[in-house]
Amino acid sequence: MSSLTSPRAVGAVVSDAGITLLGSIDGPLVLSVDGRYVWSFSPVRDGRPTRAGTLVEWPSVLRRFLHGSARVRVSDVVGERVLVDEEVVLGDGRGTIEIVDPQGLPLAVDKVGHLCRAFSATDEGIRDEILAGTRRAIDDLREACGVEAYLNYGALLGAVRDGAMIAHDSDTDICYLSRQASPAELMLESYRIERGLRGRGWNVLRMSGGDVKLLLPLSDGRQCHIDVFVAFHVDGTFYQLGNRSGRLPESAIVPFSTITLHGHEFPAPADPEAMLAFVYGPGWRVPDPSFAYADPVAGVRRLDGWLRGFRTDMGRWTEFYRWAEAGRVGRPGSAFARWVHRQLPRGAAIADLGAGTGRDAVHFARHGRPVLAYEFSRAARGTIRRRVAHQDLPVDVRMLLLNELRTVLAAGAELSRDPHHLYARQLLGCLDDAARANLWLLCRMALRGGGRLFLEFSALGPVAGPEPVADPGPAGLVQRLDPELVRREIEAAGGRIDLEELGPGVDMLGDPDPIVCRLRVAWPRPTHRERNPR
Amino acid sequence: MTSAPLSRARARARFLQDRVQRVRRRPIGVFARLNALEEEVQEQRQLNRRLAELTDVVAELLVPLAHRDEEWTREAVERYRVDL
Repeated sequence: MSSLTSPRAVGAVVSDAGITLLGSIDGPLVLSVDGRYVWSFSPVRDGRPTRAGTLVEWPSVLRRFLHGSARVRVSDVVGERVLVDEEVVLGDGRGTIEIVDPQGLPLAVDKVGHLCRAFSATDEGIRDEILAGTRRAIDDLREACGVEAYLNYGALLGAVRDGAMIAHDSDTDICYLSRQASPAELMLESYRIERGLRGRGWNVLRMSGGDVKLLLPLSDGRQCHIDVFVAFHVDGTFYQLGNRSGRLPESAIVPFSTITLHGHEFPAPADPEAMLAFVYGPGWRVPDPSFAYADPVAGVRRLDGWLRGFRTDMGRWTEFYRWAEAGRVGRPGSAFARWVHRQLPRGAAIADLGAGTGRDAVHFARHGRPVLAYEFSRAARGTIRRRVAHQDLPVDVRMLLLNELRTVLAAGAELSRDPHHLYARQLLGCLDDAARANLWLLCRMALRGGGRLFLEFSALGPVAGPEPVADPGPAGLVQRLDPELVRREIEAAGGRIDLEELGPGVDMLGDPDPIVCRLRVAWPRPTHRERNPR
Repeated sequence: MTSAPLSRARARARFLQDRVQRVRRRPIGVFARLNALEEEVQEQRQLNRRLAELTDVVAELLVPLAHRDEEWTREAVERYRVDL
C-alpha cells in the first residue's frame, strides 16, 4: 500500500524542470500522460528541496519527448490521492506530447531508468505469447543447453503476490544456477548457452559475460525481451545478474518448485519468498512501482570486473542512432572517404571499421568497391543494412566489438584470408585503451599480407587561441587523441606510418574541427629474424 | 667549518622536516595506494573475460584450422562469427 502523509493539502506543479511537490510525501507516486502510465518515482529518494517544494526532475530518457501539450496526472499508486491532473504545456509548446517509440508504441520508464513497453499497454493475447515464449526459453535452456532455469524477478513477484503479471513490468526474466567454479568458466558456459539458443532459432543479444537477452517477436509486430541471467556462488556469496549479491543458500533455489502465472506453469526457486526477499528486500509484499535496486557496491564492482566492459557505451550509441541526432551525420561520403578512394586501386576491397550510419561504406560501394562494414551498434547495423538493401549495393554488414576479443579475432581471421584495405574515420576517439590495443591487433592480422589502414581522428595539438579545443561530437562519446600516442601504439604493434597529415576538418556530425589527423599505415610482414629470434 | 651545535640544530631541523613531510604524505599515500590497489584488483578480475574469450576461440576454431581443410576452415570461421 502507498502511504501518503501530508500535513496540509499536497499538490504538485509540472514544469520543464520536473514535478515540484508542494507538501511532504513519503510514498511512491505514479505519473501518467494522457491516461497512460509513464513513470513512477519516490519523492524522498528521487527529489531535492527547492524554495517551491520538493523537485523530482524528469528522467533524462523522457526529456526528448517533453515538447507540446498533454494531460499529466500524478497520484499515489492506487490512484486515490491525486496531486495534479491537468493539461500542461512543456518545452517548445508545439504539438502534442507523445511518449512513443519510432513505431508509435507507448513507452514507460522501467526500474533501472530505461525506456520500455509496460505490460499495462499489452493485451491478453500478447501477454499469453510472452508467457508461452518464456516457457519455451526455459525448455530450450534445458534441452539444448543443459541448464535448468527458473522464473525470477517481476514475473515471479507478480505470480507469488497476485497470481498475475505486474502492471508496470516490461519483460520477463529467467535465471539458471551455474555450477562453474570461476567467472571465466561460467562465461564459457554462457557462450555455449548462446550458441544453443541460436541453434533453437532465438535472436540473442549478449549483454554481459553472464547474461543474454532473447528477442521474442510478437504477433503485433513488437518484440518482447526475455533476459537469461546466470546465478552462482563464489566463496559463500550468492551472485545473480543483473547486479544482485548477498547471502542466499542453495536450498532456497533447488530443488525447484512450480508456480502458475495466467495459466502457464513455470519452474520457480524452491523457496520463492526467500528469493523475493533477496531480490527486493523485506518489503517485497508491498507494491511499489517506483522500486529501484540498492545493490551492494562491492558486489557490483566484482560483477563489473568479471563479466562486463565490452559494451559500456552501447546504450548511449543506441540512443544516438535511434533518435534524431544521428540524422545530423551527412549522407554523402565524407571528404576523408574521397581522399582514401583516390589512393586505392580501382575496385580494391575495403573494410570500414566503425561504419556508423554507413555513409562512407555506401560511398565506396557506389564507386565499385566490395565493402565490409563493421559496426559496434546493433541499431547502426540495422540502419546500414536498410540503406544498402534499398540501393542494392555490395556491402556486407558485420558486428565488431573492439572490447570483445572474440569478435576481434574472428574478424582478423577472416580479413587475413580475404584481404581488404582498412578504413576507420572517427573511430579511434570512441575507443578506450584496451579497444585500441585490440584494433592494432586486428590490423596486424589483416594487413600483414598487404593493404593499408587509413585513419582519421580528432587530434590534440597546437591550435591558436586562448581556449582549449572542445571535444568533437557527439558530445561525451568521442575524445581527442594525441597523434604521438597513436604513433607509438601503432609502431609498438608492428605498424609503419607512411603518411601523416594534420589540419582542419569536420567531426562525425559535420561540425568544424580545427585539428584532425590523417594516417596511412602499413603492417609489414615480420622478417625471418623477427619470426625466429633464435 | 660549522659549529657542532649549529650542525646538530640543522640535522634536527632536517629530521623534523622529514617527519612532517612523511606525516603529510601518509593519508594521501594510503588513499592513493588504496585506489591503485582497487584498480589493480579490477584489472585482475578482467582477465577472467580475456581468458574466456581466448579459450572460446581456441576451442571453437583451433580444430578446424588444424585440419588444414580450406573449405571447412572458411565455414568454421564464418559460423563462429555469425554465432557471436
